[in-house]
Amino acid sequence: MTHISRRRLLQGAGALAVGSVALPGLVRAQSKELVIGCAGSHTAWMEQIVAPHMRETIGAEILFEGTKSSVNLEKMASNRSNPYLSVVQMDDPVMIQAVEEELLRPMNRSAVPNLADLREGTIHMDGMWANYVQPWAGVAYNTNARDGVASWSALWSDEAKGKVIIPSLQNTEGMWTLFAAAMLATGKPFSEAQYETDAAFAKLEELKPNILTTYSIMSQAFNLLEQGEITMLSGNFSSYTLPRKAEGVPVDLAAPKEGIFAMPSGICLVKDGPNPELADAYVNEMLGADLQAKIAEFATSVPANTKVDAGSIVPSGVPIHSPDWAFVSSNRREWIERFDKLMAG
Amino acid sequence: MSAIRHPISGTPPRRIGTLVDKTALLAGPGLLYLAVLYAVPLLLLLLQSFRSDDGGFTLVAYTSFFGDTYNLEVLARTLRVAFLTTLLSLAVAYPTAIAMNRAKGIWLTVFLVALVLPMSLGVVVKAFAWSILFRSNGALNQTMESLGLIDAPIRMLFTETALVIGAANVFLPFMVLPIYAVLRQQDDALQHAAASLGASPVFRFFHVSLPLTLPGIVAGAAFVFSLSISMYVIPSLIVGETQQTLPMLIARSFLYLRNEQLGSSISAILLIIAIAVVLFSSWLAARLGAKE
Repeated sequence: MTHISRRRLLQGAGALAVGSVALPGLVRAQSKELVIGCAGSHTAWMEQIVAPHMRETIGAEILFEGTKSSVNLEKMASNRSNPYLSVVQMDDPVMIQAVEEELLRPMNRSAVPNLADLREGTIHMDGMWANYVQPWAGVAYNTNARDGVASWSALWSDEAKGKVIIPSLQNTEGMWTLFAAAMLATGKPFSEAQYETDAAFAKLEELKPNILTTYSIMSQAFNLLEQGEITMLSGNFSSYTLPRKAEGVPVDLAAPKEGIFAMPSGICLVKDGPNPELADAYVNEMLGADLQAKIAEFATSVPANTKVDAGSIVPSGVPIHSPDWAFVSSNRREWIERFDKLMAG
Repeated sequence: MSAIRHPISGTPPRRIGTLVDKTALLAGPGLLYLAVLYAVPLLLLLLQSFRSDDGGFTLVAYTSFFGDTYNLEVLARTLRVAFLTTLLSLAVAYPTAIAMNRAKGIWLTVFLVALVLPMSLGVVVKAFAWSILFRSNGALNQTMESLGLIDAPIRMLFTETALVIGAANVFLPFMVLPIYAVLRQQDDALQHAAASLGASPVFRFFHVSLPLTLPGIVAGAAFVFSLSISMYVIPSLIVGETQQTLPMLIARSFLYLRNEQLGSSISAILLIIAIAVVLFSSWLAARLGAKE
């Protein structure tokens, strides 16, 4: 039997420890790998569509970190001196905060030529970020309990007592209920009502008897809608509800007559992020017609690229509203605190 | 080097180095790990809570926190939920631990597996299961209605009661195992001796079993209470944002309000509560141990 001396054992253990720490780093340095921050609800199509596409077209292995926009922002801010994310996909109001905190690198058309094909209004703040696809948002409802949701006022109706869940203002989709409250309280169109914050909160207070809870994690709330425990889930969006409907779940997304909202899904480059050229190539592919068509179909969303036909994804005859995100961004913290106190209890 | 004379026995003086048990060095990696990944970040967090915008010292984060009635309500809810969760865990765990102590062979294995296996199940999965149980046409409401206990379904989802039941379910093993560990060490002869002296089962429980298991109860209560006041995912899933707890306020401060000073100060308050619980339970365990 061969005896292993203590010295040799220690040497072996040391080499193993150094190897286990250093080798992944070496492998990573040699591979074309990109770490992308994205929304948790996008994980399905990011894995099924984007990852294989990027492997094939730009030869990159994509690692996703699916979470909320605000968490992505915090990750970027916390790792400002040594970023590990190359590209982040998050919502417009959070993009504004990221620009204010100087966390983004602007995109330019020479490195991202597909920017030239995007719809008007989808490139923001001189190319700091662009909207790549836009799901539309309305009111999700259980089809066993209702025939539809004709108006946003249905959320306030007597028969909806205890049967409604609304998103927290911590979530971007939470803004839609706030704006709907402002619109109903003032009688003004969304474009004007969005600035009537006090009226909106007063109207939200009237909604409290109907609210079962507010959420910051959507999955549980949506599950209750599917089970019929609630009849309406306010502010939900096409990329979440319509794929579930297609799977045969008794839910649908209503477009109330007063209007629906365009979800502000944006893509940006992280300042000083690793593999900058590869990051440019990734964004360019994300904005290209081929991938846009696939994502738009999978996520039931409006493509940003004008070369892709939007088809019948958006309901016709209903106005689509895009809010003043700069106004939202500058007031959001105060609104969150106010909302939490209003809904407490 | 100066030597220390043994205070009592007058045995020959020993060098200081020999007074330190070298096996204590085995704790080195663990202590280093805790220092780097726990103590240092916490210290930085604590300092952050006292730092003003111009880099000076300030207590404004604390005064504004305690000056807001909403925050005080959240603090009270956090403590209340933690206390009730600990109480419910204890009520369920104590008889379970007794049964485990009596169990032998395959039954003991069954108990341990039943206790440990659910820990591998994610809280998200459990939360979905609870929503099926707690909903208006769920199993609990249907059972109570069929038994005639209620006339109409009562709301259980998104209530503090549901949160306490859910949290106790998750943290139950942390109460059962310390009590079970203490019960295992008990000498059965004590029970027989008390019985032979005419003590009734109830008397034996309150005057023999319970006092001897108090250290286990204290340890389990400290575990469950500490875990309960710091839980984030469970209340986020079970009660949503309408009934926030301190950890939810911390997340909100860092992630959504971008107010690191507020988040740090709430973290410090939570830490102080946790330290107080640990110190109190250690003192209580030592006192009970001494009595024993």
